[in-house]
Amino acid sequence: MEKITRLSFANIRKHKLETAALLLLVMLCMLLLGSSLGSTLGIGTIFPQTAEHTQSYENFMLIQEKVYDKEYLHIMEEDERIEKAEAVDYLNSMSSNFLDRDGKEQALYAGFITRDNNDKLQKTEIDTCLSDDEIAALEHPIYMPYTVHDTMGYCEGDAFDIIIGTKRFPFTIAGFYDTMLHDQVSSGLKMIVTDEDYYVLSAVIPGSVILAYNDHQGLGGETLFYDMLEKMEDYSNLDIKSGVSGIPYEAIKLSIETPVKAVLALLISMSIIIILAVAVMIRFRIAGDIKEQIVNIGVLEALGYTSGEITLSYVIEYLLIAAAGVLLGGIGSIFLTPVIFHAGEIISEHRGTAGIAVLPVILAGLAILGFVSLIAFIRARKVKDYPPVRAFRKGQGDHRFGKEHFPLRNTKSNVHLRLAMKGFMENWRQNLGLTVCIMISSIAAVFSVIMFSFFSGDMNAIAATAGMELSDLRVDLMPSADAYAFAEEVVQLPEVRKATPTAGTDLFVTVADYNEVMFPVAFSSFDVTENIFPMQGRFPEHDNEIMVTNMFARHYHVKVGDTLILEYLKVQKPYIITGFVTSSTNGGVNLYITEDGMKRLIPTYQPKTVEIYLEDGIDANDFRYVLTEHYGRSLSDTAKESAEGGSYEDRIRAEAEQQIAEMMANYGVSHVEYSIQSGDIVISGNSDAFQIVSIMNIRDIMRTQLGGLSMAINVIATLFVIVAAVVDMVILFILMESTIRRQRKELGIMKGMGYTSRELMVQLAMRIMPAALIAVVCGTVIGVLSVNLLIAYFGKIIVSLPIVIVLDISILAFCFLCAYGGARKIKQISVYELMTE
Amino acid sequence: MNPSVLHTEKLCKTFSSGGVQQHVIKNLDLEIRKGDFTVIMGSSGSGKSTLLYALSGMDKPTLGKVFFGEEDISGYTNDQLAVFRRKHCGFVFQSIYLLENMSVFDNVMTAALSSQKNSPELVRKAETLLKKVGIDEKAWKKYPNQLSGGECQRVGIVRAVVSDPEILFADEPTGSLNSASSHDVLDIFTELHSKGQSIVMVTHDVRTALRGNRVIFLSDGAVIGEYEMPLYGTDDKKLRREGLQSFLDQMGW
Repeated sequence: MEKITRLSFANIRKHKLETAALLLLVMLCMLLLGSSLGSTLGIGTIFPQTAEHTQSYENFMLIQEKVYDKEYLHIMEEDERIEKAEAVDYLNSMSSNFLDRDGKEQALYAGFITRDNNDKLQKTEIDTCLSDDEIAALEHPIYMPYTVHDTMGYCEGDAFDIIIGTKRFPFTIAGFYDTMLHDQVSSGLKMIVTDEDYYVLSAVIPGSVILAYNDHQGLGGETLFYDMLEKMEDYSNLDIKSGVSGIPYEAIKLSIETPVKAVLALLISMSIIIILAVAVMIRFRIAGDIKEQIVNIGVLEALGYTSGEITLSYVIEYLLIAAAGVLLGGIGSIFLTPVIFHAGEIISEHRGTAGIAVLPVILAGLAILGFVSLIAFIRARKVKDYPPVRAFRKGQGDHRFGKEHFPLRNTKSNVHLRLAMKGFMENWRQNLGLTVCIMISSIAAVFSVIMFSFFSGDMNAIAATAGMELSDLRVDLMPSADAYAFAEEVVQLPEVRKATPTAGTDLFVTVADYNEVMFPVAFSSFDVTENIFPMQGRFPEHDNEIMVTNMFARHYHVKVGDTLILEYLKVQKPYIITGFVTSSTNGGVNLYITEDGMKRLIPTYQPKTVEIYLEDGIDANDFRYVLTEHYGRSLSDTAKESAEGGSYEDRIRAEAEQQIAEMMANYGVSHVEYSIQSGDIVISGNSDAFQIVSIMNIRDIMRTQLGGLSMAINVIATLFVIVAAVVDMVILFILMESTIRRQRKELGIMKGMGYTSRELMVQLAMRIMPAALIAVVCGTVIGVLSVNLLIAYFGKIIVSLPIVIVLDISILAFCFLCAYGGARKIKQISVYELMTE
Repeated sequence: MNPSVLHTEKLCKTFSSGGVQQHVIKNLDLEIRKGDFTVIMGSSGSGKSTLLYALSGMDKPTLGKVFFGEEDISGYTNDQLAVFRRKHCGFVFQSIYLLENMSVFDNVMTAALSSQKNSPELVRKAETLLKKVGIDEKAWKKYPNQLSGGECQRVGIVRAVVSDPEILFADEPTGSLNSASSHDVLDIFTELHSKGQSIVMVTHDVRTALRGNRVIFLSDGAVIGEYEMPLYGTDDKKLRREGLQSFLDQMGW
């Protein structure tokens, strides 16, 4: 054994640089694989840990106050599958904003709860560096989920101003806490406020009730949610789906863990790319080494070494290199695991505790060592094909009887190109491995760059995949308001380019076939839309047609031309599917239908939302204030306002508006006109100032929702490109090294004939270009196709042809430069030494 | 006397090994004349091959100068020397050094295309030369390991002369060949010389040296003697042989 390891060490010493490059790649692979696997286990425990230490309810139903009945809690409690249930008041606003540190408004999906109510849902452990006295001194303290600290960077004592409608509510962060419900910037933040502040906020935010429940049969919250919803509807005899949303444990867990696991899967993919590159390199090196050392191998065999022992020496050589890489990478991964785990905490917006996972690191290391040994063994056992005498004759393989490629007599212009092509064809087996490696790197690079450009570009690219209309402002109107009249009036404003009525955001219908609640996206005609594109089929045109999302179609295996039964308030109507839309929003439960189609199901249907598109250069948030001022006064605020102060006419108008607000808020009055004569003065007005319920800046909301994902994808994409570049660089370097070693004599002869080192370097670099070209083309095609595997999540991602072409050219240029640089050792070949040896 | 094509001034070549310096060529002044078949002889280690490679731009001198015509090539970079070689020199080696991964014809064309663009005339020239040295068309697509040593060396000569070099350098061209093949190869050299080709050949074989018209004898890196002969085939072979042998005897051969 000692003599064999001596051979292995001799080989390692002989090729120090190549050994170092290989070791580097194995180390990188181990680092990524070990830390990813180590983190995966830890990240899987983050959410259960949150549930455990907060002692929180696990499943939630969020019910709008207007459809809530206290009996619902009893219905829940009486169900034998439910272990315990609780109902608490909650304020939930999807159209809020907050002022960031630069004073800019950012979208915020805000939820407010009092401390007492939060204590009913979970154990509230406040984490704060402020003393009780300091907190008591705060005028409007607010307690935030941890993510506000961890991902948004806020600290105790920071101001956090929330804007609802036109009102600004200044808060100061008093501390942070862990929660399961509304715990992410993207899905909403449950913020704890004082009873007084809660009361003030309740004047501008419609109330909701959280029905929290735990099941003790492990049925899963989702099944129970639908069962409970049905029982509640049976009890109330109302369709309350539109006012209820379910947030079961599994859904929360999935939404938190999926992005993190996706990132970890990408890291693992990277390590797989690297290990494949390592495999190709080992094959290059052993093949080159056998060819170079064939006579020495013959001598060793003649001295009594068996081919098995020589094979084993190769296996040991690579096992030693891999072991060193695994050891260094393993140590690194133990340090990197907490970093990745922390990144996982940031992406999942939850805190967790994870120990050092040694077992996955060990397993990853063993897997790498096993793989490397296997590859080395498979290639090195070719030694047995060379018994001593054959080895002395430099092997049977040296005798050429094959086809002559690219004969020089047909050279048209550049002899170097032709010689390179000859070299390429002669080494096609080796080039096959190289092609695979560059192709994998290209796939990674193309995939990454497309994703990067998609998520780094403006919102229009993402909007095209959103499956929803991305206007500048979405205005929800009062039930009494006429959306068409409102749109016609608003479009007269110079800031407004277009205003389009559509279905209200609180309207839901059910696909009876699958009992799936869907959000109708209804327009008079889809010609007026700007961001919804059919991926397949066409827009609905008639009143019995609908389009569904690609995600829905995949999930339920429906095709264009199939019929779905839509249900609303027990009324059912069949609709034909005319096409699919890509949708990255609403979990793919958007339903595209014409207004006539809606009226066929809901005869009283009226659009209650208006999409407003602004002229270029108009700030949506500024314009929001204009709209709110004119059409969006708060009923509850106005009803409470004092009519004192101001001129006589002002006081009369204030009194009249107070009356209107009361009538509309308390008695369901839809429209009011008034005319008051006092002496010679006639004061008239109407209820138009109370038309708007809420205004949403959809682009801001989308930016907030996709912000974390974009950041994660951009970081991963950059990492992918770097890893792909390193892999290409190292593999080309090793390939060139082994080629030069193997063809030292031929290259020396060429130099002797008068070919310069530079010309030979170009020839060698050009040799790999056909392989690189094929690899890049195949890699691009596969990369583009693999991007579209994400179609179910993001819709059809628009691939920019110029970006892909520039990327491909860059990869080819990079490969050429790496190969050219790697071939620089040609300069060290001395013709004289070669001729006289 | 023919004009000079190549000359050296105080040419030195020193090798260092393990801190020990070995002066292989010492202050050598030498002139190679156009149209001459110059044979360099000497005992083993006398610096024959070192001199050949220094003269041909394969290697750089340690000190001194090498002039090609009026051009000093001793200060050239490696790439400049490569360009010099492909423009002006042809080489025939003892170990032949054909490119084993290329066919016979491509071996010739690789050399031809290093200094000029391809043309039907060039291809025809390569074909003619190969036929002339007895490599028939059937062998053109063969690889070196499918040919005999003599055939390989003939291909090596064609490769060396296909670009019409001003000087043809040969380092023991018959050293690895049997007697019959050696004779064929030397006949080719003789024919080339008769057509005006300048040749510089290193050998320690008297029969080979007889083909030249000028013999330079090297000892310890210095020229210690020079012997001129008429063109091969124009004089009596026996007298020629005796004359050369006598010179070599004087040199301590």
